[in-house]
Amino acid sequence: MKIYVLKRLVIIVPLLIGITMMTFLLLKAVPGDPVFSMVGERANPETIEMIRKEMGADRGIFHQYNGYISLLLRGELGRSYFTNRKVLDDIAIKLPHTLLLAVFAMALAGCLGILFGVLSALHPNRSIRRTITLLSLAGLSVPVFWSGLMLMIFFSLWLRLLPPSGTGEIRYLILPALTLSLPAAATIARITRFTVVDIAAMPFIGTARAKGLDELHITFVHIMRNALIPVVTVIGLDFGSYLNGAVLTETIFGWDGIGRFMMEAIVKRDYPVIMGCLLTGTTLFILINVFVDIAYHFIDPRVRLDASDR
Amino acid sequence: MHLTGRISASVLILIFVMSLLSPHLTPYDPDAVDLNSLREPPSVHHFLGTDNKGRDILTRILFGAKISIGIALVASCLSVFMGLFIGIISGYFRGLIDTLLMAVVDLILSFPSLLLAIGISVLFPPGIYTVVISLSAVGWASFARLTRGHVLSLRESSFIEAAEAIGCSHLRTVFVHILPQCIPLSIVYAGMKLGGVILTEASLSFLGLGAPPPTATWGSMISSNRAFISSAPWMVFSPGIMITVTTLCFNFLGDGLREKYDSRRDTYHSMKTS
Repeated sequence: MKIYVLKRLVIIVPLLIGITMMTFLLLKAVPGDPVFSMVGERANPETIEMIRKEMGADRGIFHQYNGYISLLLRGELGRSYFTNRKVLDDIAIKLPHTLLLAVFAMALAGCLGILFGVLSALHPNRSIRRTITLLSLAGLSVPVFWSGLMLMIFFSLWLRLLPPSGTGEIRYLILPALTLSLPAAATIARITRFTVVDIAAMPFIGTARAKGLDELHITFVHIMRNALIPVVTVIGLDFGSYLNGAVLTETIFGWDGIGRFMMEAIVKRDYPVIMGCLLTGTTLFILINVFVDIAYHFIDPRVRLDASDR
Repeated sequence: MHLTGRISASVLILIFVMSLLSPHLTPYDPDAVDLNSLREPPSVHHFLGTDNKGRDILTRILFGAKISIGIALVASCLSVFMGLFIGIISGYFRGLIDTLLMAVVDLILSFPSLLLAIGISVLFPPGIYTVVISLSAVGWASFARLTRGHVLSLRESSFIEAAEAIGCSHLRTVFVHILPQCIPLSIVYAGMKLGGVILTEASLSFLGLGAPPPTATWGSMISSNRAFISSAPWMVFSPGIMITVTTLCFNFLGDGLREKYDSRRDTYHSMKTS
C-alpha cells in the first residue's frame, strides 16, 4: 500500500518535468528574443534584466532550462504581451471560476450519466433501452462547441430563460455546465450500463429475486451498491475531459475562466499567457489524477488501478 | 457486423465520395466571396444557405469534408504506424528500452489530450500539416501501449519460439511473424478512435488552430459564423450536424468492428473519445 502511494507520488516528478520541457520548447520556438517572449516588450527594464540574468540567455540550453525552472518555482510565469499584467495573478483570479464550472458539470454528469445508464440497462421496455444507449453514443459524438451553441439558441434566444453569456451566479452557470457535462455524462452512462448488466447477471441477484424481493429493492440495494464503485472511479478519473471541454465551453459562453483566457491568448498569440494556462491546466490535471488514484486505493482496496489500466 | 455498423459505413462512404466529387456537384466556388448573397437563408439556390461572406454553405461543407476526414485519416494512419513501431520494439526487446518507451507513453497519456494538441500546434506555423502532426503526436501513445501488450503475449507463443529455433533473425521474426499479427488489432482500434480524432480536429479548427482561412473546415465554419447565431442560425447548424453525424458513424463502425474482432470486455477507456 505504502509502496503504491509512493510510486504514484514519485511519478509526478517526471510528468512535471515533461510539462515544463514542453512549455520551455514553446518559449524557445517563439521567434525573437526569448526574454521578450516571456515578459513582452513593454515590461520595465529591471524585470527584463532580472529575467535575462536568471535565464542565462547567453549560456547553454540546459542552463537556460535550469533558470526557467527556478523562475517557475518562484511563481514567475511572465507577463501578458497585451495587458502587461502578471500571468500568475490573472490565473489566480480565473482558476476558481473554471473549477466551479468543472465541479458543477461533474455533479451534473454524474447524476445524468448514472440515471440514464441504469435506465438503459434495466428498463423493461427494450426499445427505450436501445434508444437511451443510442443517445449516449450520440452524446459522445456531438462537439461541445456546437451543442453549447444549440443550447444557447434554444434556451437563451428562443425561450429567453437563461442568459447567453457572462460570469456570475447560478443562472450563468447552468448552460455552460450542462454543455460541459454532456460528453462526460454519455461516458458515465455507457460504463454504468456495462457494469449494471454484468452485475444483474450474477447469481446473487437471482437469489434476491428468488427470495421475492421487489425489483426496486434489488436495483437500488443489490445492484447499485456494487455498480457504484467502478462508476464513481471513472467519474473521478475523467477530470481531464472537463479541462479539455472547458477551453471550448468557456469560450462560447463567455465564462471568465482559464479556458477562455487561453483561447483569447491563442488568437492573439500571447505566448506567456498560453504557456501559463497550459502549465496550470496540465499540472492540475496530473495532481488531481494522482490524488484520485490514491484516494480510491484507500476507499476500496479492490480498486487496483495500475498505470497500465488507463 | 451489425446493422448500424453497416449503415454507418455506407453513410461515411457516401460523405467521402460526395466530398471527392464536390467540384463537379456544386456550381459554387467554396472560397469565393459573393457580396450579393450575404447570409441568405436556405433556398432553392443555396440548399443550406450562405455564410457571412456570401459563400454557399453546402459547397463549403463538402469541401470541408475532404479536409476534415482527410486529416483524421492521415493522422490516424500515422498514429498506427508510429504505435506499431514503438509498441513492437518495446514488447519484443523488453528490458530497459521497454521501460523508457513506456515512460514516454505514460507521459503523453497523462496530459489532457486537447491541451497537449493545442500546445503542439502552437509550436508550429498554422497549417494542415501542423494539425496532422499534433493529432498524431497525441494519438500514437495508446496504439503503442496496445501493440506492446499484444506483442508481449505473442512472444510467448510457440510459433515465435519455433521461428527463433529455426534461426530467424530479429528482423525477420518481427516483420514476418509478429507484425502481421498486430495489424488487425490496430485497424480495429483505429476505427474506434477515428470518431474522437474527427472531434479533436474540429475542436482545433474551432479554436483557430486548424487549416488557415479561407480553407473550409467544419470547425472553423462554426467558429467564424457563431457571432450570427441569433440572426442566421443555419450557418452554424449544418456544419455541426456534419461533425456529429460523421463522428457518430465512426463510433458505430468502431463498435461494430470491436464486436466482430475484439472479444475483450474491458475496453471502457478505449470507448471514450480521446
